Amino acid sequence: VCVPVTARALGDSPASLVPCRLMPVRWSRYNPSYLEPEVKTESYQKPLEELTEEEKEQMELKAVRPIKAAPPTISSSVFSDPMISKFINMMMKSGNKVLARSLMSQTLEAIKRKQLEKYHKAPENEKETIECNPYVIFHQALKNCQPIIGLSNITRGGKTYQVPVPLTDNRKRFLAMKWLITECRENKHRRTMMPEKLSQELLLAFNNEGPVVKKKHILHKMAEANRAYAHFRWW
Amino acid sequence: QLDRGCALHTAARDGLSSVSSQHVPAEKPRAVFHTSESDPAKHTEQHEGRLYNIPLEEVKAVFPHGLPYRFQQQIQTFNEARVMVRRPALELLTYLKGSNFAHPAVRYVIYGERGTGKTMTLCHVVHYCSRQGWLVLHIPDAHLWVKNCKELLQSSYKKDRLDQPLQASVWLKNFKSSNERFLQEIKTQKKYMWGKQESTEEGRPLGEVVEQGLARVRSASDAMGVVLKEIKQQSHRGSFRLLVAVDGVNALWGRTSLRKEDKSPVSPEELTLVHNLRKMVRNDWSGGAIVTTLSQTGSLFKPSSAYTPQELLGKEGFDTLDPFVPIPVPNYSPREFESCYGYYLERKWLQHEKAHTEDGKAELQFLSGSNPRQLDRLAGPL
Repeated sequence: VCVPVTARALGDSPASLVPCRLMPVRWSRYNPSYLEPEVKTESYQKPLEELTEEEKEQMELKAVRPIKAAPPTISSSVFSDPMISKFINMMMKSGNKVLARSLMSQTLEAIKRKQLEKYHKAPENEKETIECNPYVIFHQALKNCQPIIGLSNITRGGKTYQVPVPLTDNRKRFLAMKWLITECRENKHRRTMMPEKLSQELLLAFNNEGPVVKKKHILHKMAEANRAYAHFRWW
Repeated sequence: QLDRGCALHTAARDGLSSVSSQHVPAEKPRAVFHTSESDPAKHTEQHEGRLYNIPLEEVKAVFPHGLPYRFQQQIQTFNEARVMVRRPALELLTYLKGSNFAHPAVRYVIYGERGTGKTMTLCHVVHYCSRQGWLVLHIPDAHLWVKNCKELLQSSYKKDRLDQPLQASVWLKNFKSSNERFLQEIKTQKKYMWGKQESTEEGRPLGEVVEQGLARVRSASDAMGVVLKEIKQQSHRGSFRLLVAVDGVNALWGRTSLRKEDKSPVSPEELTLVHNLRKMVRNDWSGGAIVTTLSQTGSLFKPSSAYTPQELLGKEGFDTLDPFVPIPVPNYSPREFESCYGYYLERKWLQHEKAHTEDGKAELQFLSGSNPRQLDRLAGPL
């Protein structure tokens, strides 16, 4: 949504010199000359000799150009994971990031405990098959929940048809996370805590079982059933 | 010690006993932080920073209550109970070994900032004393007696005191399971009346008093008071040594969050359990020791930055406990941190790939500030 700009609005615009008359209000837009911030500490620890030509040019460019502010969601910690941050943001309610983060860490710990108990009780030959890393389980479970093809409503001649449609990567990830969270919020007993239920669902999804993977299969079946309407799609 | 620890370590591992000499040099640097000495009496400065194993049956016998919740979860996940030998505990053990039991009981107060290992130090001392055959009176958390009490009965013994039947019966059950043989040996020295009909004669074993308290929950607090009184009177004879281990002793002097039926606040003296425990913590008896811990975490109406004895005990508590031997418990030293980190790696608790690198270790040390509790909480999701 754009708003006709007045002299006052130009003055309080965030750090950019936008010459156009209409200014976007909802997402702040930096001048194209602003560069992205580099958060990873490894890139700063390389000695000068090891840098390639492009990296040297990049360093010289950074000396003269302004740099955007780093968003609070990314961190230079070696343990940070963008997928987990996205999931935490989706779990968050009314801005309570502290609670959402603690729920996520309790979930990861619960997954680790369950898997480690299984690992220590299993006989020697089965020990390699048991995956104990909660991050690997989380990423694999999300991958297993991602649908390949989606359905979209297209109206032709007064009737709405469910048309199979390819999904972008972002949309797939979003759908997987959304289904997991709604499943954990709705289909649990009143007294069960979220970390316990989430860890259960993630372990089931890791093994390609459970209600979320079932929902994905139902969507695929619906798309397969509506193959006839695929030509309604024009994009 | 190093070789003994290493050998037991490799012998205990399944599947590695067949592959012998190549793996022993690789095992050695990792096994440095373990020690095979599971008797606390033989722990010296050589064992400082190392983890010793308590067999699981002994854990169930010695600690029916008293271990922190997260440590109990760790025991269940790793299938073993490993406690780190640290300097404050070694200091306490040397004092206990060298103390003269004909003199009045010495009071030791373990204090420190939040999460530095005070309760674990107390548990180490309790394990030593139970190995030596002492009678251990372990109160896991005195704060549980001054807050969140569902049932408060008016005491039948004294009109203005209040009983807590649930807490007393839980404690009696745990006490019975950890000190079975003493309950048969110690005999009562007086006749006690429980209500109009029931009574315990003179010369009966203490076990009967405990049974009475467990059977009639109403008189559980009075049964506990009788047990404490009898034990205190008979400790100077020398047939057994008594250890009074109280966690969160600052709850005994302070305020409670309980209210009477007319909504007036209850002060700690009006609770039977607190009154009897205060009598135990006075140093007018001999033949044992009193080891206590201060705790801000469960305390009521105390600021979270308070950790010194003066702040947490208040004037009344400090004057009652004075003179005592203060034992500060600091955060992990670099060596202890290495040993804890190595243990987590070895037990596969740190699963994140980056946690195995030097950067990850430096980050863990920085974020936790070498505080044991913070390290444990951080290492959980990793």
